[in-house]
Amino acid sequence: MPDPILAARGLVVELGGRRRLFRSIPAVRAVDGVDLAVAPGETFGIVGESGCGKTTLARTLLGLQREAAGEILLEGRVVSGQEPVAARRMRAAVQYVHQDPGAALDPWWRVGRTLAEGLAIHGVTDRAEQEARIAETLAAVGLDAAMAARYPHELSGGQQRRIGLARILLLRPKVVILDEPTAGLDLSVQAAVLRLLRDLRARFGLTYFFISHDLSVVRRVCDRVAVMYLGRIVEEGSAEALFREPRHPYTRALLAAAPRLDGQAAGPSLPGDPPSLRAVPSGCRFHPRCAMAVPLCAAQDPASEAAAPDHIVACHRWRDVPTEHRDAA
Amino acid sequence: MNDSPMPSPLLAVEALSVHLRTDAGLARILDDVSLTVPPGRTVGVVGESGCGKTTLMRAILGILPRSAFVPRGAIRFEGRDILADRAASARGRIGFVPQDPYLSLNPVFRAGDQILEIMRRHAPGTRRDHRAKLIELFRAVQLPDPEAALEKYPHQFSGGQRQRLLIAAALSCDPALVVADEPTTALDVTTQREILALLRRLAAERGLSLLFVTHDFGVLAALCDSVTVLYAGRVAESGPTRAVLDDPRHPYTRLLLACHPDRASDLTGIPGTVPAATAQPAGCRFHPRCPIARADCANAPPPLLSLPGGRSIACPHHADALPEPALA
Ligand SMILES: Nc1ncnc2c1ncn2[C@@H]1O[C@H](COP(=O)(O)OP(=O)(O)O)[C@@H](O)[C@H]1O
Ligand SMILES: Nc1ncnc2c1ncn2[C@@H]1O[C@H](COP(=O)(O)OP(=O)(O)O)[C@@H](O)[C@H]1O
Ligand code: SF4
Ligand code: SF4
Ligand SMILES: [Mg+2]
Ligand SMILES: [Mg+2]
Repeated sequence: MPDPILAARGLVVELGGRRRLFRSIPAVRAVDGVDLAVAPGETFGIVGESGCGKTTLARTLLGLQREAAGEILLEGRVVSGQEPVAARRMRAAVQYVHQDPGAALDPWWRVGRTLAEGLAIHGVTDRAEQEARIAETLAAVGLDAAMAARYPHELSGGQQRRIGLARILLLRPKVVILDEPTAGLDLSVQAAVLRLLRDLRARFGLTYFFISHDLSVVRRVCDRVAVMYLGRIVEEGSAEALFREPRHPYTRALLAAAPRLDGQAAGPSLPGDPPSLRAVPSGCRFHPRCAMAVPLCAAQDPASEAAAPDHIVACHRWRDVPTEHRDAA
Repeated sequence: MNDSPMPSPLLAVEALSVHLRTDAGLARILDDVSLTVPPGRTVGVVGESGCGKTTLMRAILGILPRSAFVPRGAIRFEGRDILADRAASARGRIGFVPQDPYLSLNPVFRAGDQILEIMRRHAPGTRRDHRAKLIELFRAVQLPDPEAALEKYPHQFSGGQRQRLLIAAALSCDPALVVADEPTTALDVTTQREILALLRRLAAERGLSLLFVTHDFGVLAALCDSVTVLYAGRVAESGPTRAVLDDPRHPYTRLLLACHPDRASDLTGIPGTVPAATAQPAGCRFHPRCPIARADCANAPPPLLSLPGGRSIACPHHADALPEPALA
């Protein structure tokens, strides 16, 4: 693997801790010891049930949330351990596309004004240059330049996603964090957005950090995939290997739960909701829901091991997980 | 399924149109929509947002907005026209599971009390009967500790548990039909799968019919015996689910399925957008986006053609091949 463009080592993020006069609210560890390495030009997927810490991880990589421990490296440089303003400045090459790009736009401002404002904040204040760059970027995301005169509510869901992309492309990022970029989109719009993302990646040499709960989409567009459970990465590998031969019982359950076009139920379902971060189970945190759990699992946290070159899994029993081939849908 | 001669359908929507007066003019939200739900069957309605799915559900439930009217058509439930005959209103006999479990319960009242109130209005029996029955239902939908659940407030349940609560609410008045509007869209796939399994089991055990709105073809495949595909307020295609998914015929269904990430050989999308209900194109409403549209397509709405195997297609040119780039 080439040197990663974005990497994290032993990243820990604590949320919500507060000290009050008479009682203190303990913090929860929303990200708890995450290692990752994103190669330049790839689309790196993060999957996992809601609440497992995907957005918190993204905000921390971005510098909006401060880490409690661990390191973040951008193009080989340590960029963590900074106060928020400095952290964001050092990570200007990393940009974030909100899950609901409509909500991230000012409803009272025409789209063009929001885009120009973003440029101004980043030091591009010349009117003519602003306009030229906005027109160029709107074209790149497949929108007419006239779109700049519209208000956010006049845009369709697909157009809002395109504006959300235009907004960060103007800032010439290297790494783009996409948080649920297709949530709530109709199939036909989703297909167009995914195609656009692929084209933009090639055209601008972007690297994507792609958060999604839609496994069909992840399988389709991601090069590598990490599976998160309660703040930990439990499995990571190439999308091809991970979908073909999932090693972790949680990954297997997640893949089995995804509805399939051929209508076939792929495996046993996963009972129960993920437990709360306020009561993280002992040992392997997946053990209360795991069909393969043995007494060791409740006693000891499994370490990450390489199940194959470039395929990491954190499970005491990964060698016993049946490896059957899932058909390509 | 659709063509099975007997038994007569529990629900029959017959050439239904629902229009609405708006500032932008007349919104023709549904036109000439027909579908049937036989007893004990699960029927899906699919289509992209804005095609009229929710409006169809509201018409069936008798909760259309005030500005809406029904210029043509009928909805028969257990043989009675429930649009014409308000007294025959099917309240209670049709249960409803809404899309968003977070928005559908009032946060300031106990969830149990909210359901008991529905039962007081629509189900015979005393409050004590209702309570006993609700605990039974909580058990049937596999809520942990049913007695304690009765005392809890909505925020004390997880998303999946709330959806179970709402399914219990939908069943509380012994319905023959349960209508569900995208009930698993807001849930994780793991929870979604559990809820779909629950709905399947309850429908089988209680002989319920299910009318299930979704935009997810995977969910459709997992749950529904037959499907009606809506486009811009009209039926594009209907038939047994497997047949429609394996061999879609209407150009819209073919293009839409080709957008599915499990299926698409390349991601294309469909050019253009679903028209506004106030600006429905003349003739076939899909013609401005259809790669094989001909001149006659803009003249009159194509009739629903019946095909063998219980299928119907609203396109006279359905046997034509789509141009390669459209499906490439
Ligand atoms: N300010 C906060 N205080 C305490 N817990 C929080 C706070 N913000 C988020 N959380 C919790 O952190 C966990 C991770 O949330 P998030 O990163 O949004 O997950 P995801 O994006 O995977 O759904 C969730 O369990 C959430 O409830
Ligand atoms: N109360 C209303 N006033 C105006 N337009 C409406 C109203 N309800 C629905 N519509 C319009 O009718 C069309 C169908 O809406 P809906 O039934 O919600 O579709 P779906 O559930 O398939 O997304 C949309 O174009 C929508 O904008
Ligand atoms: S370590 Fe044990 S409980 Fe955890 S996933 Fe593996 S088998 Fe299951
Ligand atoms: S009737 Fe014409 S426009 Fe409509 S789907 Fe068929 S070919 Fe296309
Ligand atoms: Mg999130
Ligand atoms: Mg709807």
